[in-house]
Amino acid sequence: MKRAVFGWLAIVLLAVPAAAWAQGDSGGVVELESRVFELGRQLRCPTCTSESVGDSSSAISIEMRNEIRDQIALGKSDDEILAFFQERYGDWVLLEPPREGIHLFVWILPVVGVVAGAAGLALLMTRWLAKARAPLDDVNDEDLARVQAAMKSGPDA
Amino acid sequence: MSSLGTLGNTTLLLALAFSLWGLIGGAVGAIRRDRRLITSARMAASATFLAMTATVAVMEIALLTDDFSVSYVAETSRTTSPIWVKIVTLWAALEGSLLLWGWLLSGYWAVLSWVAPNTPLKPWALTVMAGVQTFFVGVPAIAARPFNSVFPVPLEGPGPNPLLQNHWMMAVHPFLMYLGFVGLTVPFAYAIAALITNRPGTEWMLNTRRWTLIGWGFLTAAIITGGWWSYEVLGWGGYWAWDPVENVSFLPWLTATAFIHSIQVQERRRMLKAWNLLLIILTFTLTLLGTFLTRSGVVSSVHSFGDGPVGPIFLGFFIVAFGLSMGLLAWRWDHVRDRSDLDHPVSREGSFLAGNVLFLAMTFAVLLGTIFPLFVEAATGDKVTVGAPFFDQATLPLWMGILFLMGIGPLLPWRRAPDQTLRGNLLWMALGAVVFGVASFAFGMRAIYPLLTMTLVGWNLASLVLLVTGVVVPRLKIGQRGVAQVLRQYAFENKRRFGSMVVHFGVLVMAVGIMGSSAYRVDEQIRIDIGSSAPFQGYILHARDKFMEQTPGRISAGAVVDLERDGQIVTTLRPRTNVFAGQEMTVPTPSVMYRPNYDIYLNVASTVGPEQDFVVLRAVMSPLITWIWIGGLIAALGTAYALVPGVQGARATRDLKRGLEASQT
Amino acid sequence: MIRRLVIVASVTAALGGLFLFGLLRGSPDRDIESARLNRPVPAFELPLYERYHASFGPTLDVGSYLGEVPMIVNFWASWCGPCYEEAPDLQAAWEDFGGQVLFVGVQTQDRGRQQEGRDFIDQFNLGFANVIDDDSSLSIEYGLFGVPETFFIRADGTLAYKHAGPVTYELLEEQVLALTGGTP
Repeated sequence: MKRAVFGWLAIVLLAVPAAAWAQGDSGGVVELESRVFELGRQLRCPTCTSESVGDSSSAISIEMRNEIRDQIALGKSDDEILAFFQERYGDWVLLEPPREGIHLFVWILPVVGVVAGAAGLALLMTRWLAKARAPLDDVNDEDLARVQAAMKSGPDA
Repeated sequence: MSSLGTLGNTTLLLALAFSLWGLIGGAVGAIRRDRRLITSARMAASATFLAMTATVAVMEIALLTDDFSVSYVAETSRTTSPIWVKIVTLWAALEGSLLLWGWLLSGYWAVLSWVAPNTPLKPWALTVMAGVQTFFVGVPAIAARPFNSVFPVPLEGPGPNPLLQNHWMMAVHPFLMYLGFVGLTVPFAYAIAALITNRPGTEWMLNTRRWTLIGWGFLTAAIITGGWWSYEVLGWGGYWAWDPVENVSFLPWLTATAFIHSIQVQERRRMLKAWNLLLIILTFTLTLLGTFLTRSGVVSSVHSFGDGPVGPIFLGFFIVAFGLSMGLLAWRWDHVRDRSDLDHPVSREGSFLAGNVLFLAMTFAVLLGTIFPLFVEAATGDKVTVGAPFFDQATLPLWMGILFLMGIGPLLPWRRAPDQTLRGNLLWMALGAVVFGVASFAFGMRAIYPLLTMTLVGWNLASLVLLVTGVVVPRLKIGQRGVAQVLRQYAFENKRRFGSMVVHFGVLVMAVGIMGSSAYRVDEQIRIDIGSSAPFQGYILHARDKFMEQTPGRISAGAVVDLERDGQIVTTLRPRTNVFAGQEMTVPTPSVMYRPNYDIYLNVASTVGPEQDFVVLRAVMSPLITWIWIGGLIAALGTAYALVPGVQGARATRDLKRGLEASQT
Repeated sequence: MIRRLVIVASVTAALGGLFLFGLLRGSPDRDIESARLNRPVPAFELPLYERYHASFGPTLDVGSYLGEVPMIVNFWASWCGPCYEEAPDLQAAWEDFGGQVLFVGVQTQDRGRQQEGRDFIDQFNLGFANVIDDDSSLSIEYGLFGVPETFFIRADGTLAYKHAGPVTYELLEEQVLALTGGTP
């Protein structure tokens, strides 16, 4: 069993050079093509339902990838290329919502969610910690009454 | 009038009557504590299951015998389809998949009605199951009506959606998905029963622990097989696109994962009563919300297979289920509130709590991103898009946090960690993390998330090694037994604990696969003349030939491509486009060379015609992608192992029984 | 407790309202506003089908009309069913209003299928100029979400309205009147 565990370990370790290899061996064409698909993956295919230009096999997606390729050849930056499509198709075409206007909500709310969750947890934890440290002798009448009532009615979860 | 249609309608209505009896009889019986009513309502579960089994059998017979007088068969089946396609056509469209859902649910309900321990929760839990069952029988029986008769009877139908009949995985993925959704109904039913009977202790959780794990395991397997299906069918060499349909299957998985961790806190430390009830209610209602969103066409998705008339019905059920269960929780709030204490934040429960926050934050982010376009349109009328780049950015930091906690959590003892052990463990884990991080950097990885992922994989592997040595070394000292024997005994005696280690290891393997395939994939569009070749990533692709195949139900056209490396033909791939009889859509069908270090994936990017002397290929090299499926398999096996009845489970059941007997006397 | 129940009820109602809106507004991918609405549309010069060479020469340079006369630019493809539905209406509208508004048809997202395009034009005997957008670059330039789509351009060169899906004679007539400011 232990040997098997180490076998797995070895495999995962081997994975690292393999992943690195993928990065090492890359010529100019591959870089260009990968950038085409990477940009395509940030644009929504206009004629499909919910697919990106990078992923879709539709005719217009292929043409849009050609357009991206042409613009890269002209030396345009990624932002310029995305702006080119945004100007023509509107914000709708951007799979990554711009960080402005009403789109800000979708970017800010998850952060608010994490912060609120963490703050809530911290608050609860301090309360629980305080309770754990509190001496046991401060039983008030209300608690006593509840215990007695519970004992009368029998055990209950 | 079709005889099979009549038969199917009859058995479906019978199932509806039985499940209604289970609901009404069960509720009245539970309120009046009438044993005879309760028993009779309990029997309704088995009766419903029999009726649903008959219904599904009738539909399968209709599909296999091409009985086009039955509306569902006429709309989705075809005489020329292979037999396996006809069988799985049952869940290839909405009406049939509702039958499948109803059938599986009735199976769980029936099994539950026989094996559930006789507790005060049981009658109510079965009643809630009956309520859900009534809905899932009622929709096909009254609204969707797959057994309507068609006149005049057509001679041929269009066949199922081509994307579905194009891959055998379709036989597996939806089935697993429904088994998962339905399995998680059981803990939900018990949670509602606990709220109704005002017994929100640990009893409902202990009663459903295995059911929860079964549901979670199937859901996990379903999501991974769904990814594999996308990989093999959608033609872009990926497996997850943050499509709304994918997201909504992921949402209940997130809350369920949080749930299976946080119930352990309640089990051991009697904390988080309200939180666990909330999580299971969220999990169940999110499965309903997901079904509504994907079946109503409210959000646009590449996987939305046909909008039926059921959108408003599902919305109604979601609203009722959400409102009622949350209302119940609010009503019982004073009884479920935690009066617990915490010894130290650095403890098992502390790490589980933090993990829960991360899982819920991810649920929130994914849900928000999925329905945000709807939200904006309701507010301003504008159409906007939230796609993969958003979800990647919103979830990756949370994943990193989860991986971090996954390493540390299992090593921390309950209540509080002794400083010295903790420091030693952290040191080893940090060492593992640094070794992996530096090694990855030395091998040329530069992007931040891949480096972080590998670092955390090192952190986690060190943690797993520490967990194993932590149990093995002390036992070696006391006995004469060898390592393998000690480990085997430990694994045998602590099935849940050992199973969870295996699952966590599977998650690590998947993390490596996801990292490699998403950060280091190479995409290229290549045009090759037939008979000539082109280089790709150290291979030479020879477009040897093109081909056209015709079977009664399908026409395929594609290219024969030999992959040569170092002067040798490694393999031959046949990417193609399929056109199914009765359907207009052409389905790209990629061909993949699976390898442990990377896959080579070829897809035809333009159709291959008779006069055409070239082929345009989309070639993708995905490093390590296979490890996602292997990691998923490891996680599934780990879950299955944790479910094997063992000493621990038996002990827990015995303790529970004793406790209950004591409470009843 | 009442307060908690009120919270639950309002959250439920808000979710229900949002999704009900989703159900009522229908398919999410319909009728997306053009990003060029009320802004100048770009000029283009594309090759014409042979039958229009006599009147325009081998290519049509829209630049020389844009900003001078109102225009209707209709995008179609030979594989597109609704395009066959709307073609007779376009032809009829051109016969009636071709003198006031420049009609241009653009075959797009139809790479390499000029013979099919010729057949399409012959089938409806389309009199207005039809150009070939073989690499779909004009389709991208105009931000098309599908075919057919029809753009109604004011005399000052700005976009007045974009229609997705097949047009009818009535719609064309109404839009021509809006473009020319005339009365029937």
